[in-house]
Amino acid sequence: MTTLEQAEAAAPRVAEATPGRRPLLAGNWWRYLVSLAAMAFALFPILYVVSAAFNPVDSLSGSGLIPDTVTLDNFRAILSGAPGEAGSSEAALDIPYKNWYVNMIFVSGATAVLSVFFGALAAYAFARYRFRGRRMGMMTLLLIQMFPTFLAVVAIYLIVLRVGRVFPAIGLDTLSGLILVYLGGVLGVNTWLMKGFMDSIPDSLDESARVDGATPSQVFWAIILPLATPVLAVIGLLSYIGTINEFIIASVLLDTTDKFTMSVGLYGFINDKYAQQWGTFCAGVVLAAIPVVVLFFFLQRYIAEGLTRGAVKG
Amino acid sequence: MADVQLKEVDKIYEGGVHAVQDLSLYVKDGEFLVLVGPSGCGKTTALRMVAGLEAITDGTISIGERVVNNLSPKDRDIAMVFQNYALYPHLSVSDNIAFGLRLRKMPKQDVNQRIAWAAKLLDLTPYLARKPRELSGGQRQRVAMGRAIVREPQVFLMDEPLSNLDAKLRVQMRAEIAKLQHDLGTTTIYVTHDQVEAMTMGDRVAVMSMGVLQQVDHPQHLYDEPANLFVAGFIGTPPMNLFEGTVQVAGDDVTVTLGRATLPVAPACLQRYARVRGLDGRVVVVGIRSEDLHPASARPDNPTVEGSVELVEALGSGLMAYFRIDAESVRPAAVEAVEEAAGAEGIVAARPNLIAHFPPRLDLRLGETVPIAVDTAGLHFFDRETGAALR
Repeated sequence: MTTLEQAEAAAPRVAEATPGRRPLLAGNWWRYLVSLAAMAFALFPILYVVSAAFNPVDSLSGSGLIPDTVTLDNFRAILSGAPGEAGSSEAALDIPYKNWYVNMIFVSGATAVLSVFFGALAAYAFARYRFRGRRMGMMTLLLIQMFPTFLAVVAIYLIVLRVGRVFPAIGLDTLSGLILVYLGGVLGVNTWLMKGFMDSIPDSLDESARVDGATPSQVFWAIILPLATPVLAVIGLLSYIGTINEFIIASVLLDTTDKFTMSVGLYGFINDKYAQQWGTFCAGVVLAAIPVVVLFFFLQRYIAEGLTRGAVKG
Repeated sequence: MADVQLKEVDKIYEGGVHAVQDLSLYVKDGEFLVLVGPSGCGKTTALRMVAGLEAITDGTISIGERVVNNLSPKDRDIAMVFQNYALYPHLSVSDNIAFGLRLRKMPKQDVNQRIAWAAKLLDLTPYLARKPRELSGGQRQRVAMGRAIVREPQVFLMDEPLSNLDAKLRVQMRAEIAKLQHDLGTTTIYVTHDQVEAMTMGDRVAVMSMGVLQQVDHPQHLYDEPANLFVAGFIGTPPMNLFEGTVQVAGDDVTVTLGRATLPVAPACLQRYARVRGLDGRVVVVGIRSEDLHPASARPDNPTVEGSVELVEALGSGLMAYFRIDAESVRPAAVEAVEEAAGAEGIVAARPNLIAHFPPRLDLRLGETVPIAVDTAGLHFFDRETGAALR
């Protein structure tokens, strides 16, 4: 068979193989199965919380996954600051849920923004400058990360107590004090992550900018920071979520109901052994989750990029 | 515009590596000086010291009237083109070009004017809004050039700006950069490891090896009168053929013996290499350029050596003929460094030791032994120990 004949013989087969319409699920049905399982795994707990939030019954065990009646009472109660059965004595309790919400956003937002900023400054120095104590400094940062922050809870309490005597603005029962403590906790690991990312930005960009006339701070603001956006977004988001979830330190440092963060405040609903208000709790949780979800949607693109960059050459 | 002067500049890195030794170099105002040498010879370090990206250990560097030893790069009024272009990936082409101007707080209108001028000069006008990753290698290279020229600095520094381009584009850009520099008249120091680039682009070429400056001269002088074995072996494609030979002096006549062949040295050559006369009976290194070798039939008057044909490359305009002759060949460090980089160490021994540039359409059969005429007016002589030219 000549080459030409071979080519002619092959031609119709090629035509057959070109897909007209790919049959649904053909061949890779198991992929859908896996993704369905993954979705169920991720959504199951959320479903429970959402269901309980819309359920008029305040207990968890008594209700099914799909409530008999759907009600917004829980949301109304928590937003009006008067949870519990109408007419009961608890109705008189003033629950400053809106304050908690604002506190949560303020504390988490400030922690995220500041930790990204300070972390980036430190990472830039560690990544680009050679100075005495550089290795030691980085090792110390890493070493401190080995111990969870709550190991130091007593020390933190005492430090904040004493600092508060001199600077009441950052003492006990203040949000700014809490933010400072959080910053100390997250800076180490953030610095390491960002340093790793900045190491992947070629030195010649800095050098080029310096020759072009940039000062070190201009190099940082105009070149390094914009290029590090993906990792900054990831770290900011992780700090934000971590801070929202944090309970122990906040509960130790904060005293006044008005100043509670979301986690400390909500805990009050399920703290009482005989009067757990799961419905109200879940309503509070669902509302509190909204900003995180929204942020995730906006930063999605950066997150995927930030988590995978550095694995392959950009 | 300004001249650049390096005086006894040293660079010793923290680990003790002596990257640049006692480098003295003067670059005239408006001159295109090429620093060339094999990798690791200190040429890039030298350039970075002029840029201020590398501190100098000793000596002085001045640009124009100013000693710039302790000035930061931004205060030296220089522009640099990097090997990997170092374009800012998050900025568009026009923002990349304007970066330095904006840092200097130039009025917006002037900035736009300069961008338009540079873009027109470099054929970048249609790409101004694009990001660097959307450009081809050649376009990126031109953006890097544009970023350098808009600033109108006193000195351009270029660190192997063409080495990331493919061969054809490299030849084209070579000419474009040389023309651009000529038109702008800006003093330029250009680093490359490619001696063809060095020869074709530079007003003068400085050859470096192991941190030491070997020779600075006009490209043709460098080729015709290499100061030592290193330059002889490094400059020229193919490299100079080098053999050990014994000098014999009898009255006015000087001959040199390569293996079994004895070649009378032409008087013109003895004028250039005057010291050879005083070396009767001594072994020296003899250099023969490939174009000083001819088919014996074409030059009946020239003395000949016998060589067996090992390989013939037809270039169209001529032949590159590889012979093995019976003489001890010398491999200077320059050639070895190049071969090492190419991973060709192992096959050196079995190699042909004489390369000749012959006219085309010559019937050479592999394995055949033929006489090769040597134009002895073009011979070069070097000291066997020091490698210095015997002038």
